[in-house]
Amino acid sequence: MKVAGLTALITGGASGLGAGAARVLSAAGVRCALLDRNLDLARELAAELGGIALGCDVVDGPGVAAAIEEVSAKLGTPRIVLNAAGIDVAIRTAGPKGAHSLEEFERVIRVNLIGTFNVARLAAQAMIALPPLNEDGERGVIVNIASVVAQDGPIGQVAYAASKAGVQGMCLPMARDLAPHGIRVVTVAPGMFETPLAAGIPQAWIDSIIPTIPFPKRWGRPLEFGALVRQICENPMLNGEMIRIDAAIRMGIDRA
Amino acid sequence: MEINNHIAIVTGGASGLGAATVRMLAEKGARVAVLDINENLARQIADEIGGIAVPVDVANDSSVAAALATVRSRLGIARIVVNAAGTGIGRKITSSKGPHPLESFKRVVDINLTGTFDVCRLAATDMLGLTPVTADGERGVFVNVASIFGFDGPVGNTAYAASKAGVIGMTLPMARDLAPYGIRVVTICPGVFDTPLARAETGDAGFQRILDLVPFPKRAGKPSEFAQMACHIVENSMMNGEVIRLDAAMRMGLMI
Repeated sequence: MKVAGLTALITGGASGLGAGAARVLSAAGVRCALLDRNLDLARELAAELGGIALGCDVVDGPGVAAAIEEVSAKLGTPRIVLNAAGIDVAIRTAGPKGAHSLEEFERVIRVNLIGTFNVARLAAQAMIALPPLNEDGERGVIVNIASVVAQDGPIGQVAYAASKAGVQGMCLPMARDLAPHGIRVVTVAPGMFETPLAAGIPQAWIDSIIPTIPFPKRWGRPLEFGALVRQICENPMLNGEMIRIDAAIRMGIDRA
Repeated sequence: MEINNHIAIVTGGASGLGAATVRMLAEKGARVAVLDINENLARQIADEIGGIAVPVDVANDSSVAAALATVRSRLGIARIVVNAAGTGIGRKITSSKGPHPLESFKRVVDINLTGTFDVCRLAATDMLGLTPVTADGERGVFVNVASIFGFDGPVGNTAYAASKAGVIGMTLPMARDLAPYGIRVVTICPGVFDTPLARAETGDAGFQRILDLVPFPKRAGKPSEFAQMACHIVENSMMNGEVIRLDAAMRMGLMI
């Protein structure tokens, strides 16, 4: 679908991949609503892009519903939804430090998997009421972010990998559920990208991972992620698929 | 990598997915060599876009070498190579007509798999001598065309599915082989597209029946949508070693 003039709801839109996509979409004429727990940061970027900012937790059912209503009233009901909100922890299943905290596991699943599902279900419900945009009957597109970690399973990433594999697993049934309404669902699995989420990673680990990236031998940039999101919005044949954008990295057992 | 001013080779460029890619690459400023077994059709497209037509039988090694030599001398060394040449046959491994002929199996594998490999190995060797065009050290990119048949395996398609699964399987090792030289490899798996090959395979009635199984959009893909994906892959340097289904969420069950 043509994106100019449409509204996008971007969770985690204040920074990282979400912000990268917001910049690319905004440059293509999309009105961006940035939903983030960090409202100050979201406001800064929204002001720069001429969009709006909303402070909301993605797992908050009534909160997200109210946020979608607010976006619909101010910018129009979003036809583009990007679920970029996500958190990570690095804890091993068991070891000298004890068993993996169940609370930490649940927290990651709640934000990454349940939060993504929550926003998708409520945004899709709002989209269904919209008239189709084109002769295909297209109403909108939902782009979810998984991770190469979902498939490659590096050490200490059991919670993150499980949550992102859940996002991967939702892609096809969600695409099939929403196909009768002309709504597509596509998942992106980024490799290593320059984001605040990655900023917590120790430099020694970063130095050790660069040699394992085939090409280009660097971390991805949020604008490159954003370019793929734009392609997904614009290419109607992309549906029910997860796309790795990772410079061909596969994480082996040596990534300890 | 940018497309503008670079030299591109598209095999099977005279019709279907290849022809649409030829047109879009030319629109974006590439100088395109249309390689096809149908020289007359290739010339028509080449004339239309101001490129060159080069006859090739991708199943014939000396023909491939000669075609690449022609491109080298007339345009220069290509940095963009799209392998869209392909063929198919519909035949069960055994039936009342007898066993699947071995010759036709070999023919499909020769064209779709070995032909793709042959073009890649020779074109990549030429690329090694080029200077990089980006700060990443990027020299070029291969976009190979597989098929969702390579994953989904519909009945009566052992040869086609085997050949396309081979193209899928080559993607990662080829990307890893060529990463040190700044050359990327990405594969697209089209679903049902409106091409002469698809129409010939299924007949008009069969084509319609297959479209009933497509979730959304409920139609055959347009070759220009394939071209859009191919061009995005060329332009997005983080895309490497990945196989992308472009299929409107279609998965082929036992019924076709």
